[in-house]
Amino acid sequence: MIKTWELEPNFKYEIMKEPGGEHLTSCFQCSTCTLGCPLTEIIPGYNPRKIIQMSLLGMRKEVLSNPDLWVCLICQTCTARCPQDVRIADLLGAIRRIAEREEEAGRLKIDSVRPRFDKAFMHQLEKYGRLYDFGLAKEYYTGREGSFFKGMMAMSKDYKEFGMRLFKKGKMGPKALFPEKVKDREVMKKIFEQMGAGKK
Amino acid sequence: MSERKYAYYPGCPSGTTAMEQDMSMKAVFEKLGIELEEMEDWNCCGAAEVEDPEIVYALNARNLAIAEKQGLNIVTPCSICYYNLSRSNIALKGDEELRARVRSIDASLTYNGGVEVKHVLDVLVNDIGVEELSSKVEKKVEAKVAPYYGCYIGRPPETAFDDPDAPGLMDRLIELTGGEVVPYNYTKTKCCGGPLMMTRQDIAFEMARKVLEEAKNAGADCIALACPLCGMMLDAKQPDIEEAFGIEIGMPVLYITQLLGLALGIDSGKLGLNKNIVDTKDIIGKVV
Repeated sequence: MIKTWELEPNFKYEIMKEPGGEHLTSCFQCSTCTLGCPLTEIIPGYNPRKIIQMSLLGMRKEVLSNPDLWVCLICQTCTARCPQDVRIADLLGAIRRIAEREEEAGRLKIDSVRPRFDKAFMHQLEKYGRLYDFGLAKEYYTGREGSFFKGMMAMSKDYKEFGMRLFKKGKMGPKALFPEKVKDREVMKKIFEQMGAGKK
Repeated sequence: MSERKYAYYPGCPSGTTAMEQDMSMKAVFEKLGIELEEMEDWNCCGAAEVEDPEIVYALNARNLAIAEKQGLNIVTPCSICYYNLSRSNIALKGDEELRARVRSIDASLTYNGGVEVKHVLDVLVNDIGVEELSSKVEKKVEAKVAPYYGCYIGRPPETAFDDPDAPGLMDRLIELTGGEVVPYNYTKTKCCGGPLMMTRQDIAFEMARKVLEEAKNAGADCIALACPLCGMMLDAKQPDIEEAFGIEIGMPVLYITQLLGLALGIDSGKLGLNKNIVDTKDIIGKVV
């Protein structure tokens, strides 16, 4: 239900300032995004069209705490089919980044583990310039489970068989235990420090 | 720029989970007499996890600058790397202010817009061409193949190089290897679930299950694809998916360059066909 007295009419401008969110107000609610979305076959009620309308109305709190934000696969089917070039996949990314900043500021609690995973991924790039699978898994599971030990237990449960499978095929040898690094790692650090929304 | 030499962007999984894609890519290009010059000190494209477009643009400005120094256009076998490199290329070429801002971070991010970015499927079918490839085919791979395109080949529109709903580049390649393309139109552009594998495995597995089972229902002997994340989901995770749903799939999953390599008469070991998780013996057995 819409509580008109709680609406934040400037929310749409907040989204449109975020890279990827620029086309929000082009939406005319045709629902093509939702009809083509592969997630609707799996999650009943999944509805990107509704997230857009709620954003336009200014339902900031409801949008930013919506768990459906965190299951978009960025498969771009909605973006490809949208007659209004709303660029929904990028738009949801823009909303996710606002939600992450709200959480960092202590104003929102996100239930999904996805921000944690994405951040752990970015830390590998910042440190090494390339994806380091073990470093990513270590950081992600340790953070998610609350301690290194519990993290390693959870990782082993999820990945023991998978890891063995790769190992047997020579895809996860001793070399994979160490990160591949680009030579110029200082520039990676600088990119993450200086680029991104709000850092202009 | 020379059409017969490319700057090669292998992508992060090229040394681990997708080493057979890297091996087969190199073997096929060697056989075709087209040089791949690996980009010196390339960095990660940002994958699906770096969501801020500005960071993606800066990361790839460095990659694009490296290729520009080589004086070559980029080819990559990974659909996600292609998407990130290509959209960064478009953004940087069209925005002098963005180029200047990125350049001010570090001199190594100086990119002047002189590079094209291509996916390997695009290079094979549109640059090299079906005619030349057909003239070099030595063997027939008499397999029924489900061509799986996934996300970033036909969409989003500005970086797409094939039809969003009915892509056909991989179909052309399968036909010239002597294979039969099975009816797979509904599924071939669906997402494999890969981006959610670490955070919502239940959804990711359900998506991958559909892709695999639809190929089986269509009578395919194998799936052909062109992205290492799809490869990881459909091949390396296939035993986990079978276990999670209590089903048997047993569907070999080959990179399109592996399949093409077999038709070009390249040794299966050189194509890394012993590296795929689901056994590929049956497909190698269909080479005549």
